[in-house]
Amino acid sequence: MNRGESERDRLVLSIATEPLDALARDLVSSHGIAAVAGACRGESGSPHVPEAWVERVALAPVDQVLDAGAAARARWITPAHPAWPAALGDLAGVDDHGAAPWGVWVRGEGPLEVDRAVSVVGARSCTTYGAEVAGDLGADLADRGWTVVSGAAFGIDACAHRGALAVAGRTVAVLACGVDVPYPQAHATLLDRIAHEGWIIAEHPPGSVPHRHRFLTRNRLIAALGAGTVVVEAAPRSGSLNTLRWADRLGRSSMAVPGSVLSQQSGGAHRAVREGEAVLVTSADDVAQELDGLGWSDLGATETLTDDSRRLHATLPREGGVTVGELVVLLDASLRQVRAGLALLERRGHARRADGGWIALGPLPG
Amino acid sequence: MSGRVVSVTLDGLTGRAIEVEADIVGGLPRTVIVGLPDVTVNEARDRCKSAVVNSGAPWPDQRITINLAPSTLPKSGSHYDLAIAMAVIAAQKAVPAEALAGTAFVGELALDGRLRAVPGVLPATLAAAEAGCTHVVVPEVNVPEAELVDGIAVTGVRSLRHLVALMTGEEVPDDPPVPPIEPPAAAPWGSADRLSGLDLADVAGHEDVRLAVLVAAVGGHHLSMVGPPGVGKTMLAQRLPGLLPDLGRQDAIEVSAVHSVAGLLAPDVPLLTRPPFLDPHHTASAAAIVGGGSRQVRPGAMSLAHRGVLFLDEAPEFTVNVLEALRQPLESGRIVVARSARTVVYPARFQLVIAANPCPCGQAATLDSACRCTPAMRRRYGERISGPIRDRIDIRRTLTAPSRPELAATVAAGRRTVELAQRVLEARDRQGSRLAGTPWRTNADVPGTELRKAWPLAEEARVLLDRQLHADKLNPRSADRVLRLAWSVADLHGHDLPGGADVRTALSLRSDLPLDAAMRSLVAA
Ligand SMILES: Nc1ncnc2c1ncn2[C@@H]1O[C@H](COP(=O)(O)OP(=O)(O)O)[C@@H](O)[C@H]1O
Ligand SMILES: [Mg+2]
Repeated sequence: MNRGESERDRLVLSIATEPLDALARDLVSSHGIAAVAGACRGESGSPHVPEAWVERVALAPVDQVLDAGAAARARWITPAHPAWPAALGDLAGVDDHGAAPWGVWVRGEGPLEVDRAVSVVGARSCTTYGAEVAGDLGADLADRGWTVVSGAAFGIDACAHRGALAVAGRTVAVLACGVDVPYPQAHATLLDRIAHEGWIIAEHPPGSVPHRHRFLTRNRLIAALGAGTVVVEAAPRSGSLNTLRWADRLGRSSMAVPGSVLSQQSGGAHRAVREGEAVLVTSADDVAQELDGLGWSDLGATETLTDDSRRLHATLPREGGVTVGELVVLLDASLRQVRAGLALLERRGHARRADGGWIALGPLPG
Repeated sequence: MSGRVVSVTLDGLTGRAIEVEADIVGGLPRTVIVGLPDVTVNEARDRCKSAVVNSGAPWPDQRITINLAPSTLPKSGSHYDLAIAMAVIAAQKAVPAEALAGTAFVGELALDGRLRAVPGVLPATLAAAEAGCTHVVVPEVNVPEAELVDGIAVTGVRSLRHLVALMTGEEVPDDPPVPPIEPPAAAPWGSADRLSGLDLADVAGHEDVRLAVLVAAVGGHHLSMVGPPGVGKTMLAQRLPGLLPDLGRQDAIEVSAVHSVAGLLAPDVPLLTRPPFLDPHHTASAAAIVGGGSRQVRPGAMSLAHRGVLFLDEAPEFTVNVLEALRQPLESGRIVVARSARTVVYPARFQLVIAANPCPCGQAATLDSACRCTPAMRRRYGERISGPIRDRIDIRRTLTAPSRPELAATVAAGRRTVELAQRVLEARDRQGSRLAGTPWRTNADVPGTELRKAWPLAEEARVLLDRQLHADKLNPRSADRVLRLAWSVADLHGHDLPGGADVRTALSLRSDLPLDAAMRSLVAA
C-alpha cells in the first residue's frame, strides 16, 4: 500500500511487537509501516524502536518465519491481499490508533470464507447444557451457510466448532498462538480437522506460544470476523464477555443464550442481557434473524444511509458521548436498530466511540 | 416300623431343615401326610407310591403316616417326594440306616421313579448345610447349584433306583439324565446376557444423562428419565448394568438363590455373578412383577432384580397396583407376597430406573411440538408415580431431542463403558472402605442420620446445604438424599470429603440442572 509498505514489513511488525502495543501503533502512525519495520530489522535512521523488538526480529528473521509458515502449510496475508477479510479492517476504527492486526496467518485449504460468519464463544468450563446448546448452534448456523468462528478452547468453543464440522459446515478457529501450535494440546485432533475442513488463523508467527495477554487480544479478531458474537455460557468474569464487548465496540451484534438462573456459568451472559450489552437468543433462528435484521447478509460498499441513521446522527452529540441505552430512549427505537445504525455510521466515519458513549463526526453527505 | 430322613422347606428364600418320618402301622392300606402340607405336597402320596413300586421296591399294603416335622411350618412344593419315598423305603429297612444319617433329600419324582429337577435347590442346600447336614442328594441336573454351597457333599441322582443302588452298594442302573426345569414359557423379561457388549459410548449426546447413569452406578441411586419417545431412554437404562461391579460371593449366592426359587437358574452356569437387569413390560401381570402366583408362590421381577437393576420403561403405563407395590421394597429391601393364609418374604433390594414420556402423547418436551395434552393431563400422567416413590428417586433427568440425531454422535465422543466401569469400581472401593463394618455397601443405602453423624461434611459443603435448608429449597429428607449423592460425586472424583462443588453437583443431579465442567470431563472422551 502507501509508502512502500509490504507484506514483509507487516510480518516484521507482527514478529517484533505484541498486538495492540500502543507504542508500535504510535510509531506506525507517525512514521509509517515501512520505516518502523526497517528499524525493527536494525536498519539505521529513524524512528528509534525498543531494543527488544530488534532482538525478536533478529532471532526470527522474516525468511525463516516464512519458511516455518510454509512448512506448516500456512500463508501470511495482509490488507493488500485479495483474500484479506475486510471484516478485520473494521478494527482499525475502534481505538485511536486502531486495533487491526498487521496481518494474519491462515492455515487451511482455499480462500478464507468469512463473508457470512458468526462467532460463538463461551465458558471453557461449560456445563452439559452449554455444551449441548453450543453444538446445536454451531451445526444449525453452519447448516444455514454461516461460517462458525471460535477460539478452539475447551468447552463452548470446541462444541461450536464440532457442531459445524458435524454438518460439514465452515468453521474458523482463531488462536492465541501460532497457527501450527496445537493449543490446547487435547484439541490437537480437533485443530487438525479444522485445518482440513475449515481454517485456523492467528496473528502470531508460526511456533508462537499462547500468553494470557494474547487470549485477550485474540478475542478482538473473533469478534471482528463474525457479523455477530453469541455467548453461550459465561460466568460473570469470563473471557468470553471480553469478546462480546469487542463485538459491541465494533458495532457487531452481540447476543447471549440464556441458561438457568441458578447456574454460575450463565451469570455473565444473563448480566450482559440485563445491561443491554447483548440480545437474548435461543436458537440459530434467533441468531439468523438478529443478523439478517442488521443487513449483514448483503452488506457491502453500496450500503446507503437510511432516514433512521440520519435521525440517529442528528441525535448524537459532538462531544460527551451518549450510551446506546440512552439512544434507545431518546429515539424510542429498539436496541437492534440503534446498534445497526451506529455500526453503519461508524463504518462510514460519521460516528465513533468517545467518553464511554457515542459522538457524531462531521456532517452527513446530502 | 418307621423311617426318618431329612428334607428342607422353603419360606421365600429361607430354608429350614425338616424331618420326614414314615410310620407303617397295621390297618387299612392308606397313606396320609400330616404336618401342614398344602395341595402340592398332598399330591406326593400318589407319585411316591407309583415311583417306589416302579423302582422295584415294595410299598407296604398298610396304613402309612408321613409326618413332616415340625408341624407348625407350612409345607409347599413337590420337592419332598424324594424324602418321602426314602422314608418309606427306610421304614422297611431296605437301605442301611447309617447311609441316611446327616443326609438331606430334595427332588420331585416321576411316576416311573425318575427324578425331576426342582426350583430352589440352592437355598435348600444352604439350609441343609446350616442345619448341620453333611450330605445332600438332589436331582442330577441341580448338582451345579447345590455345589455352590460350601461344607456339604452333593450327590446327584437320576432316579429312585439309582439312589437306592448307591446306598446299598448295588450296581447303578443306566437311567437317562434328568432334563432341566422348563423355563416359564413367556417370562416378561429377557436374560441379562443380552446386555453384554452394550456401550455407554454408543449413546449420542445426553452428556448429562450419561453422567447421571454413572453417578447412579457409583452410589446405587435410583434414577428417573423423562423425555419424548426415541431419544434414548431405554438405551441409557440398558447401559447401567454394564457399569456395575461384579457381585460379591455372598450377593451372588443370594441372587442365584432367588433365581433358583423362580426356576430360572441355568444348569450350566448356576452362579449369577453379574447384577441382574429386569425390565418387565408394563403389560406383564402383577404376580410376574411383584411376585406371587396362584398355585406356587414365585418371586417376581422385583425380587429377581435383587442386588441389580429394575427398569420400568414407560413407567406411568404400569398398573397402579404394581407402582404402589414398589413402595415396600424401596423402603425395606424386601417384598412380602401374601397368598391365602400364607405370606412369603423375598429379598428385593434393587436399583430402580424409571423412564417416562412427559405426557400421554409423548411429545410435550419437544420444541415445536404438536402435543395437545392439557397441563392437567401431563400432571396426572407424571403423578401416576406417587409422591413417596418419586421422593426416593435421587437422580432426575429430562431428556430433550438433539437438534438432529446424527449430530450428537459426531459432536462429542463419549468414554466407553470399560473405562467408566473401572472408575465406578474405584469409587465403590472408596465406599467399601468407608462403610466397612456397617451393614451398608453403597451411599444410597446409608440412612441420613448415620451419614451426617459418622461422616461430617467439609465446612463449605455443610454451609451450602444449610443454606438450601434455610431457604426452604430442600426439606430435611431431600437434604439427606442430596448428601448421599454428594458422597457419590466425591467418590467418583476421588475426593476424601464432599466439597462445595460436589454438593452443587448433587443438587443439580436431583433438580435436573446442568452439570458442571468437572463432571463433563468424566464422560467426554
Ligand atoms: N441418543 C441416542 N444415541 C444413539 N442412538 C439413539 C439415541 N436415541 C435413540 N437412538 C436410537 O433410537 C432407538 C430407540 O431409542 P430408545 O432408547 O428406545 O428411546 P426411548 O426409550 O427414549 O424411546 C435406539 O435403539 C437407537 O437406535
Ligand atoms: Mg423406550
